[in-house]
Amino acid sequence: MIALPNTDRFRVWLPVSRTTRVLVGLTAALLLALGWSAASGALGISPWGVLRGQADPLSVQVWWQLRLPRLLLGVAVGAMLAGSGAAMQGLFRNPLADPTLLGLASGAGLFVAVWIVLFQDSGAGSLYGQFAAGFLGALCVCLIVFGIAKRQGGGSAAVMTLLLAGLAINTLAGAGGGVLAFIASDEQLRQLSLWGMGTLTNALWRTTALALVLIAAALWLLMRSARELDLLQLGEATAHAAGLDASRLKRRVVVATSLGVGLCVALTGVIGFLGLLVPHCLRLWLGPGHRLLLPASMIGGALLLVVADTLARTVAAPAEIPVGLLTSLLGGPYFLYLLMRRNRAC
Amino acid sequence: MLTLHQAGLTTTPTIAPLDGTIRPGELLAIVGPNGAGKSTLLSMLSGFRPAELGELRLDEKSLNEWPIAELANRRALVAQQELPGFDWQTDELVSLGSNPSKSLVAALLDDLDLTHLAKRSVLSLSGGERQRVMIARGACQLLSRCSSTAKDGGILLLDEPTSALDIGQQQRLMRQLCGWAAQHRMAIVCVLHDLNLASTYADRVWLLHQGQRIDHGLPKQVLNPATIAKIYAAELQHIEGSPQGKPLLALAP
Repeated sequence: MIALPNTDRFRVWLPVSRTTRVLVGLTAALLLALGWSAASGALGISPWGVLRGQADPLSVQVWWQLRLPRLLLGVAVGAMLAGSGAAMQGLFRNPLADPTLLGLASGAGLFVAVWIVLFQDSGAGSLYGQFAAGFLGALCVCLIVFGIAKRQGGGSAAVMTLLLAGLAINTLAGAGGGVLAFIASDEQLRQLSLWGMGTLTNALWRTTALALVLIAAALWLLMRSARELDLLQLGEATAHAAGLDASRLKRRVVVATSLGVGLCVALTGVIGFLGLLVPHCLRLWLGPGHRLLLPASMIGGALLLVVADTLARTVAAPAEIPVGLLTSLLGGPYFLYLLMRRNRAC
Repeated sequence: MLTLHQAGLTTTPTIAPLDGTIRPGELLAIVGPNGAGKSTLLSMLSGFRPAELGELRLDEKSLNEWPIAELANRRALVAQQELPGFDWQTDELVSLGSNPSKSLVAALLDDLDLTHLAKRSVLSLSGGERQRVMIARGACQLLSRCSSTAKDGGILLLDEPTSALDIGQQQRLMRQLCGWAAQHRMAIVCVLHDLNLASTYADRVWLLHQGQRIDHGLPKQVLNPATIAKIYAAELQHIEGSPQGKPLLALAP
């Protein structure tokens, strides 16, 4: 096991519950990261100056129209990806489950790619179109996966079938993406590959505002499932006897996740490893109870994505690294390291 | 009180229709060879697999009409060993499915000889220890959720609760189950493989074979060597029953 700070140590001088301590601590860290991120960038802007009206018009324009929506989008997407990862892992009772595993992300990705290559030239409302395509893609995958699961009935065989269905959908979406790349024009290809690597560059107020509302709704649905996800860990028959309606829980979590993740993919492309990494690390630290794990994952995911995005736009400024590339580069090796540590401990 | 009125299952694994009553305060053992349908029957009693023939009534209301959440106040299930998905701490796992007082959790851990493991991670426990944790969880659900509403202690369904226990722990567990049945007027339904445990501790026995209940009644009536030898296709040798008149069965060498 990895030595992580033991929060019980603080009980002596902080007379509040562990849940409160952890969540307040994570929120404080997120606010610090947001402050740092708001002040960094290719253009040195002081957020205080902008808020007090002492900055030049260009800075004000850049800060309000580009940097602030981007920050908020980072928070929303990070929280959604990590939160849905935690919920999926609870649903499958498997710490390696993730929305990308079910094929939701790649299904959304395929639909968005279809939109970019085949329909975008028609011009009208291209951003909302991309948005709706992602939404629709995740929903389709969700319905397919559910159709298969329903025919299988309950039990662990159904979970295995779900995972295999996800694998098939991922493969199919990969092949579909290949075909689209083949027929795409050079300009579309560049757009596809940039978007495919995952980036928050597309943050604009009109899309971000809608995304924030919808993602907040999806996160709320997940939060309401926390206690039931705990029960599900007992196995379906025992959980049923303990008062859990497992099919309602599954429906709620899969719908919330597919809508939220479809939205994220449409706006930012596939940002890997957040949904896997954040809940995994937090579970080692906080234990498996979802009433703490879910909100902690959401805040932690937002924190990680805001930090990663700030690095992505400052490390090679004025050029920008796609943040999805960065999270995969940082997250992949760390995850392998975690797996190796785990196996040695067993 | 749970009553069965020609209740059965028609899709495999099937259960032939049967009548019966499970009364508060009694310990009912379900026995039978491998594949006889013991776990399936337990699943039907729990309502997880709703009866496809006839019906089950709990407290005079059809089992299908009970909302899932309310049913959890009246009966709990301890399924055969299944690893919990993540690394829960023992006392957290015992509390899952109810909102028990600290003293109830402590008392149950003490009852099942688990107090020294309260803060250990469940995945680090042995099979027998984990089995007792899951039994404590089932009892905890009933005892903390039942007291507020009920006239009796509800129904605790256990699927092979002694399969990973040594003989000392088997004795302590069976005595504990009898204790809960008497003290809280809890009905306890146990799937058991060890016929001598059924004979020694059960008030009544249901004998299952190929999805059918062959016989039911007092242990000394049901567990007679002739029937058992035939149903289990085993060769038995006769031993004198216990001083209390309970039949004991042993395999011939």
